[in-house]
Amino acid sequence: MNVSRRTILKSAAIGAATAIGSAVTRAPALAESDTVKVASLHDLSGAVDVYGIPSHMCMKVAIDEINAAGGLLGKKIELKVYDGQSNIKNYPRYAQQAALEDEVVMLQGSITGASREATRPVLRRYNVPFVYGTIYEGGLCELNAISVNTGSDQQAVPLLEWSFKNLGKKVFYIGADYNAPRNIGIWTHYLAGLHGGEVVGDDYYPLDVTDFSTAISKIQAAKPDYVHSCLVGGPHMSFYRQWAAAGMLHKVPIVSIVFAGGNEHTVLTPEETDGIVVAYNYFEEIDAPENKAFLKRVAASAGPDHPYVNGIAIGGYTGPMIWAEAVKKAGSFEKDALMAAVAQGIEWSGPSGRMVLDGKTHSTQQDVHIIQVKDRKWSLIETKKQVPPYDFGGRCNLLANPKNTEILVPRV
Amino acid sequence: MDHLIDVLIAVVTGVAILTLISLGLAVIFGMMRVINFAHGEFIMLGGYTTVMATRQGVNVWIAMLVLSPLVVGLIGAVAERLIVRRFYGQIVTTMLATWGLSLFLIGLVTAIFGNTTRGVAAPLGSVAIGAYSVSAYQLVLIAITIVVTALCFLVLARTRWGLIARGTMRNPEMASTLGIDPVRVYAVTFVIGAALTGLAGGLLAPISGVIPHMGAAYVARAFVTVISGGSALIAGTVSAAGLFGVVESAFSLIATPVIGQAALLIAAIVLLRVMPQGISGRWQGVRS
Repeated sequence: MNVSRRTILKSAAIGAATAIGSAVTRAPALAESDTVKVASLHDLSGAVDVYGIPSHMCMKVAIDEINAAGGLLGKKIELKVYDGQSNIKNYPRYAQQAALEDEVVMLQGSITGASREATRPVLRRYNVPFVYGTIYEGGLCELNAISVNTGSDQQAVPLLEWSFKNLGKKVFYIGADYNAPRNIGIWTHYLAGLHGGEVVGDDYYPLDVTDFSTAISKIQAAKPDYVHSCLVGGPHMSFYRQWAAAGMLHKVPIVSIVFAGGNEHTVLTPEETDGIVVAYNYFEEIDAPENKAFLKRVAASAGPDHPYVNGIAIGGYTGPMIWAEAVKKAGSFEKDALMAAVAQGIEWSGPSGRMVLDGKTHSTQQDVHIIQVKDRKWSLIETKKQVPPYDFGGRCNLLANPKNTEILVPRV
Repeated sequence: MDHLIDVLIAVVTGVAILTLISLGLAVIFGMMRVINFAHGEFIMLGGYTTVMATRQGVNVWIAMLVLSPLVVGLIGAVAERLIVRRFYGQIVTTMLATWGLSLFLIGLVTAIFGNTTRGVAAPLGSVAIGAYSVSAYQLVLIAITIVVTALCFLVLARTRWGLIARGTMRNPEMASTLGIDPVRVYAVTFVIGAALTGLAGGLLAPISGVIPHMGAAYVARAFVTVISGGSALIAGTVSAAGLFGVVESAFSLIATPVIGQAALLIAAIVLLRVMPQGISGRWQGVRS
């Protein structure tokens, strides 16, 4: 084909016209149809599909449940599924496709921090509400987005408070070397100060490191009472393996707010993980009738051998449910009406108990459980009721400052 | 004192792992000048062999020491026959071909076993050193590395086969006039390099676990080590691994692991600037 400058200009003009046209025609299309679409944009393949697949699975359960109860505002929900393929460049593209071509009224997903940052501005531009379902480092404070899972402070504050009380005053912090674990490192120092503890060492490892012999040697030399681990991803699982092989597992306890997020406890053997303590808003073993009924629906939808529903995956379920609650309250799918309803706070109860989406921070207050693994099963140690999201010392207030889109970092 | 021993073991483990992942490449790249971009994937396949065999109930030692080298050696034989053989002497083409092979192997393993981490528990438990304890497997890993390295050295330097292989690599025409079949020697050498790499993968499986794209974490370090080692294959590679392993572990211990990794690369850059032929570039008469 002979591509001249003129043909390129011509096709670009047509493309732009189509984009503008579909944006203009969006509103009437929404009113006529008896279904509305929501988008699931998760990594269903590639390096981080361990997080995407279970979250998407839970999202499907939620949408089915909403439809079985008669839909929303008289409309059935149609789930449009996009596979991010663990590749950031797919995120803005699919977000745009969801907004303009499929005209979705909500998008949930974009779990990794990088994919979230690639998705947010696109959805903001097209006024498509973004539901963020995963645990994360905290600080998302944007009118167009709601976060239904915990920020890391909501896990770290109860977990470290428990640890300093029950395990000892000296902690060694070990984390992956990128922003979220570094933020949690700051929290660890802050909380140590608050509880009269001491950080006897902290260390950050690049994500591809698999040989942790120097790390283990360093930790042994520092003689901590317990280790706080924020190691992330497949290669870092080696740490737990080598820690157990060095005979340390039952000598120095490990606590974490990310362990088991990739279902590490089912990949590693019980000999390598028994006794590790974590904090999440959800675990499958929660002893409540709502939870048992929820797990039955998951098994019916995804088969009995479905991936373990952990504290990350549960956001795939709670996200659409809380969004649906907000839609009912607003009586509309439109962003402005929806966010006006969110501003007054949305309360909803599910398998993990009562949750309150806060209008000021667009983050969610909820129960956090301190749990311990044995033989690949979690058992409850203690529940912290209704842990509120951190408001960054008043810096996150979307009622007063609705224009904020910046990710806030703790100043502690 | 016990702390010192503990640190020493950590440092030597770093050196041993670097040596293990580089030995196979020393044979394939150092000796045959084949830039094998699929080196990391050979490690990965060795790891998968051990993990999968152990899951089928095979003894973990047999899986690591016998099955992994065997399976990867066989895969190496097929790869040599189908791909590498066609491009001997064409460095850039070989590089592209083995890169393709690397992508293919990652895709294949992902399709079969899925893109998730798997692993085997390290055998043997732990050993107490004063107030410290280290994994007993770590000590065995160090011992095995020493034995394998010594065997490689002896085979290359002291046996007739080693002489033939070295001679053929130096001058294939001359070797063929002496009744040696260079095609066969090349093939066998490649397979041995692949088998050594498979062994490394098998031995690393209990330490690192396996995932289809794990090779990327090793391939660059292996190349840096072999290139810095220079022309004396085994002695050079071991010297480079010793230097870089100590530098990386020491800086990880004193500063942070990130500084450790950076220090390794800086050491390599400085070394190659001062000694462009590698550590063993100026050794004469002891080339093996």
